Amino acid sequence: MNLPAHKKMLSAAAAASVLLITAACGSSGSSDASDGGTSAPTATSAAPTTAAPTTAAPTEDAETPDIGAEEQGGYADGDYEAEGSYTNPGGESTVKVALTISDGTISEVTVTPEAENGTSKQYQAKFAGGIADEVVGRSLDDLDVSKVAGSSLTSQGFNDAIESIKAEAGV
Amino acid sequence: MAHAWRFEAIGTAWQIDTREPLAPDVEAAVAARIEVFDRTWSRFRADSVVSAVAAGAGEWVLPDEADALLPFYDELNDATDGAVNPLVGRTLADLGYDAEYSLVESAAPSDVPYWSSVEFSAPVLRTTSPVVVDVGAAGKGLLVDLVASIVEEHTHQFTIDASGDMYHGGTVPIRVALEHPLDPTRAIGVAELDPEDALCASATNRRAWGEGLHHVLDARTGRPTDDVIATWVVVPQSCMRADGLATAHFLADPDVLMDRFPHEFVRMHADGRVVWSPDFPGEIFR
Repeated sequence: MNLPAHKKMLSAAAAASVLLITAACGSSGSSDASDGGTSAPTATSAAPTTAAPTTAAPTEDAETPDIGAEEQGGYADGDYEAEGSYTNPGGESTVKVALTISDGTISEVTVTPEAENGTSKQYQAKFAGGIADEVVGRSLDDLDVSKVAGSSLTSQGFNDAIESIKAEAGV
Repeated sequence: MAHAWRFEAIGTAWQIDTREPLAPDVEAAVAARIEVFDRTWSRFRADSVVSAVAAGAGEWVLPDEADALLPFYDELNDATDGAVNPLVGRTLADLGYDAEYSLVESAAPSDVPYWSSVEFSAPVLRTTSPVVVDVGAAGKGLLVDLVASIVEEHTHQFTIDASGDMYHGGTVPIRVALEHPLDPTRAIGVAELDPEDALCASATNRRAWGEGLHHVLDARTGRPTDDVIATWVVVPQSCMRADGLATAHFLADPDVLMDRFPHEFVRMHADGRVVWSPDFPGEIFR
């Protein structure tokens, strides 16, 4: 793993899907240690999983963040960036997390998968898939398409059967 | 494309677009291939192999395509913990989706036998009881592949649209609207199909005949599904796989399917929520 010196890394030797992310101070644009200092908080989040709880222990090659220096009652404003690693069936994977804290609360978070092997890439891609509530859609008349894909049109026999059932039911 | 050949086959509408009309002997070859397929796999006709299988236990020699189709059903059955299972035929018929389109649910629909209760060792299918095979999950996609292999001997500019299951030949991409399952005048997005891509759409809105009764069953419960109402799957070069996965997306977690099968998907849930894979080729109208 290639990590800039000013970034701190907590490698979670945890079970497959437990994801630990340590956010240490120092955005990519800020190499000035006084800009937030080494007392930057560590934000640790674990993705919920169905795996048995495991105790995450820092590996020996990782520098343990200075949790004791954390100030009580909030985090310093600024841009934070960190990488977190986890072990999955496809091997070791990392994700990059960038977040902005303003007025003591997180105002923006970006998670970027950095998987290198195929399995991990696919594994992580799932976290980055799309989701939308109540898609209303657009009128077909407004689209430049050559085909429409929906459920199969039914045969005349099926349609006739539906019609006769409706007629019997008086619908 | 300039020419469209439209016909009805295996209970749905087909359209084959080409630059120039296909020669009569090519059209005849396509029609003959469809007929042979139907005579093997249709549970809606009395003279099919599947109808013979339904009549009693025994051994049947199946055509070559079974060696693609049935092992793929093994994969789907395994990935969905048994939810996708071609032995749903009798239960579908009991729910009213039978050869006569009675569309009336019987008092006690049959349970679905385990897929492992039949044995297929190409080319022979062995059964120990009368089972009703329904290849609705992936059969039509397979037939599109088989038809495509005939058409592409004569032209490389074609698109086959078997009403929801598509294979795009040709040299330039096409844009395909994803029909809103609750409003066929609208689209929830657009897919961009590259040459040799297959796209399969599945939804529970048309093959439906009563409250909660439609053609996509969970074989574990024998009941129609209700969480997902429409799916779209894109797979390069295999309409069969796109078709089967479009069905599987009604019945399994997308993460599980993404782990096991290379494909891209969009799925719409009954509450209107739409979920799609990160690399789905196209756009969803949020």
